[in-house]
Amino acid sequence: MAAFARAVGADPADGVPPTYAAVYALWATAAQLFDDPDAEVDLDNLLHSEQEFDWQRHPRVGETVTSRGRVARDVVRRGIRFLTFETEVTAAEEPVCRSRALFVVVRPRS
Amino acid sequence: MSELKVTFTVEQIAAYADASGDVNPIHLDDEFARSVGLPGVIAHGMLQMGLLARVAGEPGRLRRLSCRFAGMVRPGDTVTFRSEERDGHVELTALNQDGQPVLTKATAELLLPDNP
Repeated sequence: MAAFARAVGADPADGVPPTYAAVYALWATAAQLFDDPDAEVDLDNLLHSEQEFDWQRHPRVGETVTSRGRVARDVVRRGIRFLTFETEVTAAEEPVCRSRALFVVVRPRS
Repeated sequence: MSELKVTFTVEQIAAYADASGDVNPIHLDDEFARSVGLPGVIAHGMLQMGLLARVAGEPGRLRRLSCRFAGMVRPGDTVTFRSEERDGHVELTALNQDGQPVLTKATAELLLPDNP
């Protein structure tokens, strides 16, 4: 967490940087999607197009949170796949953060 | 209004990759990046968003942050992140050295300070 804070130019003493949610919310769950052959997500042609985080509060250093991700929407328009991936983060059953990522998968030209 | 000007470096991108665990080679390996049609390594969108969060407002007050990753940021590029707050609603911009937006649709909501 301290290394993450420094990488975005923040002071680790200020606590968990808000976009550390990329680690505990987004990638903690989206990584499972990329590893799932049934999801058919081609990582080489994947673009992270939009990202939104909503926080009820920010987690504290040392706190354990639980993240659950799901594909909220998966549509193909004009050969481009739009995949919306949502993650709910809780601590002791109380909501902490919600992440919504839009991924665009461009089919390689054949 | 708050402003932050950052010149991206290979070292900063590598440090973000290490710290975030996002070690996709498009951020780290020039040769690989070119093999998938990029001009070379590019910065993580989430690194840009991490910098954007710093101008959005006090971290503890941040309740919502969103943006669209609109343009590539390469090592050597200088991006100016700016915020304008009104009653807890924050409009954000991120422009590169050519004045091109690299993040669009960027907004934040802040918890308003308690009334005295």
